[in-house]
Amino acid sequence: MEMHEVSITTQIVESVKTEATEQKARKVLEVYLQIGCLTFLNPEQVKFWYEILTKDTILEGSRLVAEEVRGSVHCSACGYSGGLGQVDSSLPHMLMPTLQCPECNGVVKVVDGRDCVVKRIKMLI
Amino acid sequence: MADSEVVRAGEGEVYDVELDENILKANRELAEENQNLLKKNNVVAVDVMGSIGAGKTSLIERLADQLSKRYRIAALKGDLTTTIDAEMIRRHGVEVVPINTGKECHLDANLVRKALKRLPLNKIDLLFIENVGNLICPAEFPLGSEKRLVVISVTEGPYMVVKHPFIFLDAEVVAINKIDLASAMGVEIKNLRADVKKVNPKSEVVFTNGRTGEGVNRIAEALGL
Repeated sequence: MEMHEVSITTQIVESVKTEATEQKARKVLEVYLQIGCLTFLNPEQVKFWYEILTKDTILEGSRLVAEEVRGSVHCSACGYSGGLGQVDSSLPHMLMPTLQCPECNGVVKVVDGRDCVVKRIKMLI
Repeated sequence: MADSEVVRAGEGEVYDVELDENILKANRELAEENQNLLKKNNVVAVDVMGSIGAGKTSLIERLADQLSKRYRIAALKGDLTTTIDAEMIRRHGVEVVPINTGKECHLDANLVRKALKRLPLNKIDLLFIENVGNLICPAEFPLGSEKRLVVISVTEGPYMVVKHPFIFLDAEVVAINKIDLASAMGVEIKNLRADVKKVNPKSEVVFTNGRTGEGVNRIAEALGL
């Protein structure tokens, strides 16, 4: 079964292609991507599909830089803003993400980290 | 601005363009459209997500039996292929639109939007959207539902929550299904519940048996139905 990195990477390639065509680029050299830590995208898999999906396009051979950006949460009870907390699981030495506020007993809301953004494209005009 | 005023890179120059395009935004916007459409028609929609074979369809069948007197129910049923499960739900008097995703591992807001067009929304009060069996990808793509039910079962072993914690972050209700098989599987259901509550303290965890219907009324209650 294909994982959803394929469909997301297809969209990434399409959006870069559209922009490159609009700029009348001869070649795309580098694509800079930000992947939120709270998405379900694995940067290595995105890179793998990027190489395959860019074959025979003006993106072929371009470098994909995928930076992971930390997610952030907010607690309305104590005002905590920052990264998602972690807790021990039922398995020894195994931590899980948690919506429990790292500062108080409140429950946090996810405010950031669920995006996958094509930030910049370097191209040869 | 006249085209001649725009500063352009000459031929052979390297050009850096700020694009800032959010790839996941398109799906989110469609999900919001779906949500508005459902609200306008007073339809309460519930996502049903969970592992393969956890019992998502069985629980929808039992929920339909219990709720059909109070609600006019419909369902969207996502699977890679076949309409086997769709037929199962249909036997309970539920209008079902099967969605075959082909090779995709999840439903997305666009598929749901297309499927919603096939339903007489003004004659429906409650809609179950059963996703493809998968504890990862469906969580990436909101569909427009108001509530989310995640289903796991004891036959998947004791570490389903520890191994796939992220899908539980957004769940209002989590059903731990096939509890009649817990001792045969050597699984402590209270540990599974404790793991879910640690990840998402505000979720309701319900123990169920999808074959007998045990616990299903508590899912309905927890969903506010």
